[in-house]
Amino acid sequence: MEFRIARRRTLLALAAIGAGALAAPVIAQDGPITIGVQVPTTGPEATYGNDMLNAVKVAVEEINGDGGLLGRQVELAVGDSACDPQASVNAASKLASQEVDGVVGGYCSGATLPTLKVYGDANIPFVITASNSTKLIPANPGNAFMINSTGADQSTKVVDFLSGKGVETLAIVDQGDAYSQDLANLTAERWKEAGHEVVATETVNKGEQDYSALTTKIRSLNPDAVLWTAYYADGGLLIRQLRQSGYQGVIAVGDGSNSPKLFEIAGQAAEGVFGFSNPTAEFLPAAASFIESYKAANDNAPGPYAPLTYDGMKLLAWAIDKAGTTDHAAVIEALASADQAEWLSGPISFTDENTLARSNFIVLEGKDGAWTRAAE
Amino acid sequence: MTTFDILAQQLVNGLVLGSFYALVALGYTMIFGVIKLLNFAHGDVYMIGGFVGFAVLSLVGGLVGTGWGGIALSMFVSMIAVGFLGVVIERIAYHPMLAAPRLSILITALAVSLVLQNSVLALTGGEFTAFRTNLGFGGIALGGVFITYNQMVLVGMAAILMLALETFVTRTQYGRAMRAVSIDKDMCRLMGIDVTKIIAVTFLIGSALAAAAGTMAGAYYGSIWYFMGFLIGLKAFTAAVIGGIGSIPGAMAGGLILGLLEAFGTQIPFIGSEWKDVFSFSILILVLVFKPTGLFGKSEVERM
Repeated sequence: MEFRIARRRTLLALAAIGAGALAAPVIAQDGPITIGVQVPTTGPEATYGNDMLNAVKVAVEEINGDGGLLGRQVELAVGDSACDPQASVNAASKLASQEVDGVVGGYCSGATLPTLKVYGDANIPFVITASNSTKLIPANPGNAFMINSTGADQSTKVVDFLSGKGVETLAIVDQGDAYSQDLANLTAERWKEAGHEVVATETVNKGEQDYSALTTKIRSLNPDAVLWTAYYADGGLLIRQLRQSGYQGVIAVGDGSNSPKLFEIAGQAAEGVFGFSNPTAEFLPAAASFIESYKAANDNAPGPYAPLTYDGMKLLAWAIDKAGTTDHAAVIEALASADQAEWLSGPISFTDENTLARSNFIVLEGKDGAWTRAAE
Repeated sequence: MTTFDILAQQLVNGLVLGSFYALVALGYTMIFGVIKLLNFAHGDVYMIGGFVGFAVLSLVGGLVGTGWGGIALSMFVSMIAVGFLGVVIERIAYHPMLAAPRLSILITALAVSLVLQNSVLALTGGEFTAFRTNLGFGGIALGGVFITYNQMVLVGMAAILMLALETFVTRTQYGRAMRAVSIDKDMCRLMGIDVTKIIAVTFLIGSALAAAAGTMAGAYYGSIWYFMGFLIGLKAFTAAVIGGIGSIPGAMAGGLILGLLEAFGTQIPFIGSEWKDVFSFSILILVLVFKPTGLFGKSEVERM
């Protein structure tokens, strides 16, 4: 008993000190604004992580070049999440104890998930630029904002786009894994809700080269469109065999198949195939100058999540500017009110759950052996 | 498409798929015949065959074209090269183990499989390689059934290879020796047959057939990768067991039957294609329950 009381006193004392420390930076507002960047800079996903970090640097350089934020320079503090839940919690705790004014990043959803609580407890504004698992949504304490579309958003986009093409009957093929089955089920549900018909939902084995039995079945059902929800390698084979069997309807593939390699495998058959993709720089007209500055600072082209991460940094800066202060609550409020349309990846505004109100998936079309942006 | 058209089309699909299974199953069954080994590396030999065929076609494609002529040539080169690879594998990995317990050699086969897979993984970085050819999509339509020229050539080539094998095994001295070795190795030695050489010939032929299938599959489907031998290895093994492992006609029949079962299994009303393997493997269980030696297998007598 004695011990417990003693400890409670210590805690109270610590809390008092803590409160004093928290109050301090609000008064002193002339130092630099520090933004945390939580990305995997080591480990298997380091390529993507460093790419995101470079995109943030491009944005910060522009901001500082324009006189900074609230008259103060912006500084970065990097937290390496290593695509690992433990490493990311350590990185997040470090950033939180550095009292950063906001955080951008988040690549692997599994590593981002446990950091939501860390930033939530400190009420630090967190703009998540790549992680897009729907599991993040219920775990969000309210300070995090997801600017990458989720799997659910992709199925909505697929349904909208194909309906727009006049497709009525749809056959969906997945590969039995969590990712492709999820997309297949979500799309099937929404397709039916939209009043259309799903004539077949099929699953194929990964690595099985011969899909002729399936293509015969599909041809006999003759749906207006076939949707492949898994990856490019088997997708390329399926597309080839579908066309070989004489199927002439629309073929669409999910974002696991939007690799340029699809054309090497499917060849001619991939002409006119529709693909869905995150907003990557090469297909965004607004990103031309971003690509230029990125290439000037790095010796590679921006990767798939670079534009979104650039947007994330700019969005956070916009929110701090709008709030006129780095006070966390005010910045979070500003983020929630975001409704500007001039971001690289398209318009960003948020739902009540702090996810994108409007999917930023783009539609691509196979033309002359490469992906081009399709007319929507 | 009418129901008849659909079934006829699935028959064609099943024949094509079954031809691949049969060619690979033949190697399984021949090797099992002579040294009683389930050669789990056989699917990977098929994969190597695809890569060698691709390499050859890339080299000579400019000269002879990448149509069926060029493919047949690269298939031939691949058969010879991979046939000798099979002999080398046998000599290095299996030969020293022939007197060891059966389990040791089985584990060795798994090790060989991993060595082959991971070598190609290391060389290709695990990427899919596009097998470019200028095979068209042309074909003939019989009513609602569409048969491409590629499918015809493919089934034709498989049939020629199988006929050649059948002639070799039944009409030549080596074939006779092979059948004899599968019955009783020790007696063969006493009769003056070079058993080591016959085993090598068996690996040569079995691997060459797998290489032929690998090259044709690469050209026909259009892509190859290091893991392509796994699933077909499993399926071909199943085909060999359905036909009766150790029996050459059994492997041919087993391959075709499995191909047809999978094609028709896709078409069963009310259930999706994800059930086709459940369907075909249930048939395997039934075959084994009612005829444990397989359709063409005899329990004690000759196994070739």
